[in-house]
Amino acid sequence: MAASERSTKDKLLAVLDDLEVLCRELIELLALSRNQKIAQPGEENQILNMLIQKDGEFQEIVRVALEQGKTQEEMHLLEKEVEKRDGDIQQLQKQLKEAEHILATAVYQAKEKLKSIEKARKGAISSEELIKYAHRISASNAVAAPLTWVPGDPRRPYPTDLEMRSGLLGQQSNLSTNGVNGHLPGDALAAGRLPDVLAPQYPWQSNDMSLNLLPPNHSNDFMLEPPGHNKENEDDVEVMSTDSSSSSSDSD
Amino acid sequence: MAAAVAVAVTAATTTTTTTTTTATADVKASIKQEDCSFLPIVHDIIKCMDKDSQDVHQELNRLKTKLQETRELILAIPGIDLSPEQQQLQLQNLRDQVRTKNELLQKYKSLCMFDIPKT
Repeated sequence: MAASERSTKDKLLAVLDDLEVLCRELIELLALSRNQKIAQPGEENQILNMLIQKDGEFQEIVRVALEQGKTQEEMHLLEKEVEKRDGDIQQLQKQLKEAEHILATAVYQAKEKLKSIEKARKGAISSEELIKYAHRISASNAVAAPLTWVPGDPRRPYPTDLEMRSGLLGQQSNLSTNGVNGHLPGDALAAGRLPDVLAPQYPWQSNDMSLNLLPPNHSNDFMLEPPGHNKENEDDVEVMSTDSSSSSSDSD
Repeated sequence: MAAAVAVAVTAATTTTTTTTTTATADVKASIKQEDCSFLPIVHDIIKCMDKDSQDVHQELNRLKTKLQETRELILAIPGIDLSPEQQQLQLQNLRDQVRTKNELLQKYKSLCMFDIPKT
């Protein structure tokens, strides 16, 4: 059993050592028999036979070694093939990992979307109510200018100074400081001192259909300035427009 | 006696030569096998001893050199660190590995693919 597990290299080296020993013994024996003129044919023949046998054995093991060399080349090619396949498997593993990550992200996002959909379905609002609410917001011209709006139109999507002064707070303060705040002619109607019959009718006032839809507190927005004061009102508007606090370009 | 020894060596060498010449599958291998035989050199040494020639020392040196060279050649042959049986086991193992990995790759490549719609 131990002999079969010996490597071919060990066997070759062992047989070579034996050959060397036998060659040396044979040559020494021949030299001795020649010098001493003593014939020892039996021993010489024995060594010679052993030498021949060992040589044959050596030849056989060399043949096996050469075949093993060829097998080793085939194994080398197979090892390269295995390495290449390992590389391919690693590449495939990397791509599968990437695909798994992408799919996991997509599934997570889809689940979140489904949750949002379910949440929205639970808190559903009727479309009529939404439209009504949107209409109320947009009816005051707070989100977009009216169709008939032109540059120079004093209307703004926010309460202007005139509108504030025509309100309750403005009237209260004007009554208490009468003549002090009325330095601008255009403020006469705003201060409530001109009658309504003198209120001018401008093109945008009659053509604007949204007038009928406005909330009540915006009904006097378009009747503030008399015609005679149009130019002055434009100046007022320009003054007001340039005022940083009331500028329409001032947003948010 | 020496003549008988020489004849025996010659006969053995001839037999070896005949054996190797019949194995013509690989010329390179047969040449190596011939080179590995020590009987021709022993035969030459014995002949020189019979003739009391001065070439005996030269032939002895040749034998010594050949032994050394053969030793170096043996160390250079690849794949002989194992026995033939062990090497065959390793070879079979490698073949199985290659076959298994090929099958694995083929299996994963032939899996159903998702149809990704092009947007």
